[in-house]
Amino acid sequence: MTTVQLTPEAAGLPGFDETLLARIGGAAEPALLQEKRAAAFAQYRELPMPQVRDEEWRRTDPALFPFDRFAPSPRLAPVPRALAASPWDEEFDVVVCVSDDGFSIHDRTGLLNSGSLVVLSLADAATRHPALVERYLQGAARVKAPRKFSALGDAFWTFGLFIHVAPRVVVPNGVLIRYQHRAAGKAVLPHLVAAVSDEAQLTIAEYYESPADAELLAVSTRELYAGRNATLRAASLQEWGARTYHIGEDWVRAERDARVEWVTLLLGGQVSKMMVSCDVHEPNAQAYLSGLFFANDNQHVDQRTLQLHSAPHTYSNLLYKGAVKDQGHSVYQGIIDAAPGAIKVDAYQMNNNLILNEGARADSLPGLEIDADDLKCSHGATMGNLDESQMFYLRSRGLPEAEARRLLVMAFFEEVIERVPHEFMRERVREDVRRKCGEGA
Amino acid sequence: MSEQLPFFEIRNLHAKVEDKPILKGVNLVINPGETHALMGPNGSGKSTLSNVIMGHPSYEVTGGEILFQGRNIIEMEPDERARAGIFLAFQYPVAIPGISVAKFLKSAADARFGQGAIKASEFIKEMRENLKFLEMNEAFLNRFLNDGFSGGEKKRMEILQMLTLKPSLAVMDETDSGLDIDALRIVSKGVNRMVGPNFGLLVITHYERILTHIKPDHMHVLIDGQIAMSGGPELVKEVEKNGYDWIRARFGKEVLV
Repeated sequence: MTTVQLTPEAAGLPGFDETLLARIGGAAEPALLQEKRAAAFAQYRELPMPQVRDEEWRRTDPALFPFDRFAPSPRLAPVPRALAASPWDEEFDVVVCVSDDGFSIHDRTGLLNSGSLVVLSLADAATRHPALVERYLQGAARVKAPRKFSALGDAFWTFGLFIHVAPRVVVPNGVLIRYQHRAAGKAVLPHLVAAVSDEAQLTIAEYYESPADAELLAVSTRELYAGRNATLRAASLQEWGARTYHIGEDWVRAERDARVEWVTLLLGGQVSKMMVSCDVHEPNAQAYLSGLFFANDNQHVDQRTLQLHSAPHTYSNLLYKGAVKDQGHSVYQGIIDAAPGAIKVDAYQMNNNLILNEGARADSLPGLEIDADDLKCSHGATMGNLDESQMFYLRSRGLPEAEARRLLVMAFFEEVIERVPHEFMRERVREDVRRKCGEGA
Repeated sequence: MSEQLPFFEIRNLHAKVEDKPILKGVNLVINPGETHALMGPNGSGKSTLSNVIMGHPSYEVTGGEILFQGRNIIEMEPDERARAGIFLAFQYPVAIPGISVAKFLKSAADARFGQGAIKASEFIKEMRENLKFLEMNEAFLNRFLNDGFSGGEKKRMEILQMLTLKPSLAVMDETDSGLDIDALRIVSKGVNRMVGPNFGLLVITHYERILTHIKPDHMHVLIDGQIAMSGGPELVKEVEKNGYDWIRARFGKEVLV
């Protein structure tokens, strides 16, 4: 493993400097975006580089991300292309394809012409809807100050997508975003901003893939916003190849009476570190945060979640389930944070882990930070191998040991898989889990 | 061919769990077409016997043989025994949230009969028919296996599995315990559907009640890890009336002789 000495004094990563900022952003971009990037760059430079001695990074050494081996990809431009046939696409109104040579936005049902739904690159959105971009980019969904890697993504994003649903519009089938990267040695930084206005509804599905042999690095940032009485359902399936590194920083915010569902499915990649922060910001806001991760071979998956209850009478429900196998290592750190005066809060956090063999490792650190009385908070974690009596039951019905194990691992994850909005993605995840269980026992 | 291979025979079976000997020389022969009942006081080893027949890994066989269709199955894995045609209806079927009944039954049938041996459409038709026969709602197929099932529903699910997997030898481990009259009737109806010239059955029970629905040809009493007495169906009545002490006393005498 290459180790780069990153000191707080030299808080920049190799290559992510003014020169790159000018190349990625620069005069070609609308002034609004240039300003936002510049502000983020200033924050990025001020923030210290995470260190392995930091509590958050103790189990995931920042040096696991070999930034020095990657050159940032140029900012992606639109490319005209026909939508390659994929059965998944038929489930959506809009399909966005992102690859090394550019991006394309496909309006399958004509909804983009109606004006009720906006799906544009950030550059186009900044030109055509500057007030909306001003409000939501590095904006409304972010309740707390940026962190090092969210500032990095804000400053250097190489592809930005802006989704906006007008008030009271129910988008019937939603938006699919497919990221397919294959250029080895590149760092890609996708940024997603999605805002669902009051009383509106939207479903988003994201899919990431890269070839097994291409070494890639991704830093993804997302800002998801659900207005009053809005519904936002989103699922992200990360199926990167075995040599891809991924850092993700997400914010989700729900206003009064809004409901957000955010499912993170981490199956691929070499090293992944994801931070999902959610604010149930106004009374009666509800958030359902779900996670599924499976680290096998020598994969390393680190997830951190924040359930922030800014207001009284708010609800959050978090369920993260993970499995580790072979030499895989997973880390889960959860925080429930209820603001002072946030009474009648109902917060739930559960992290279940399956450790499928000796040598695999799962760390789980659920936690609470509460400044209010009169609230209901519960959290917990479980660790263990498969249940012996369930194994015997399945085997007594003729299922060979390896098949019984596979079925039980799949059964373990089913509770999370059921929270994925689309059946095609549910099926895909089941296939991934089955494959990762392997042929042997 | 030197001799007729036994269908199912237990020879001088010894087994222990956590270093505690439970079975101390069990002998039992079941021929095709026969239904045997096994009764015995608590702790006599009835559930151990059923678990050992199925190959539960927590039980260690320390001596003897279990012959099934001419083969000693002691070294066989539980799933090999099941695929060979042995079925155990559990006393306490475990719940497996996350696996639907339909998926489970299909996986088990594929394992038993071979992948693709049954057409999906035929399989579904047969499942529906079996459900109807056991007076179960089709909604069961989409429920998670035994998850939130009542005691009676769990036992009916065991019998549904038996009908699906069509074993040639079945062991029922106190399937009747905790069942009300209706559930017992339905469960027995399902079992009796299996009974025939190519099917051997061992019904382990505490109560005579189930044996009025499933008529045994032979009755055995297990005491302290051994078959203390065997007889015809009339022995059931005697046990029900007089308990086990007289058998224990007589058995003890015989051992002492």
